[in-house]
Amino acid sequence: MKWAVLQFPGSCDERDAVRACERSDGEARLHWHEDRDLGDADAVVVPGGFSYGDYLRAGAIARFSPAMEAVAEFAAAGGPVLGICNGFQVLCEADLLPGALLRNESLRFLCRQVELIEVDGPKSQPGVDKSAHRPLSIPVKHGEGRYWAPEEMLDALEANGQVAYRYAPGQNPNGSARDIAGVTNEAGNVLGLMPHPEHAVDPLEGSTDGLRVFERMARLARIPA
Amino acid sequence: MRVGRLVELEADGPERLPELCEKLLANPLIEDFEIQSIDA
Repeated sequence: MKWAVLQFPGSCDERDAVRACERSDGEARLHWHEDRDLGDADAVVVPGGFSYGDYLRAGAIARFSPAMEAVAEFAAAGGPVLGICNGFQVLCEADLLPGALLRNESLRFLCRQVELIEVDGPKSQPGVDKSAHRPLSIPVKHGEGRYWAPEEMLDALEANGQVAYRYAPGQNPNGSARDIAGVTNEAGNVLGLMPHPEHAVDPLEGSTDGLRVFERMARLARIPA
Repeated sequence: MRVGRLVELEADGPERLPELCEKLLANPLIEDFEIQSIDA
């Protein structure tokens, strides 16, 4: 299993993402944003951080990187793409995921552990993706993490099983619509979430629940094209 | 109260401005924009 973790000017969580990918399965490498060739990557991670200093809007500049053109082609061909925090913002700006991330309702930057619920949907595989309904303990670390989409789009996402994670009751840290913490595209191969699974892969971090997110992407990579 | 964004651009011609706004300067899902030209 080979992971490519993108790196933009201002990314800061790419090295933890590399570590998390390798703890999950296989080898991971950093991929500089100017490089348009993803090589033999089986999955791509767009990491957290502050690409371009969130200039203009978080993710608004990074979405135009050469690497993101390659990611769009990779995703269109069914390749698994995981966007974490700023990565989620980049994927939304690039129209690879629906919706947008707004400023936290509290207007404050938040950095704390939250509980997430994996959402079962029409595409969940029984016994595999279907969650044990134990919340995942994963940290958030963001100032602009409030997920928003028009009501009709939210209805469509829920009907189509595109809501991947929700904040557990009482755990929504930022006012995200319908407690949505992460979504997929229609085909289900692109996943974005605001919490940071790469910071929850070692007992020293207080939780290894983040590995479930990487394992989910690895499973997608194993499905024959 | 909400704080928006004001962008002042010098451009050789107005033709590409709507595209620039749609794709970069604004996110049409959550922002709208208005182009006002100031004659020199």
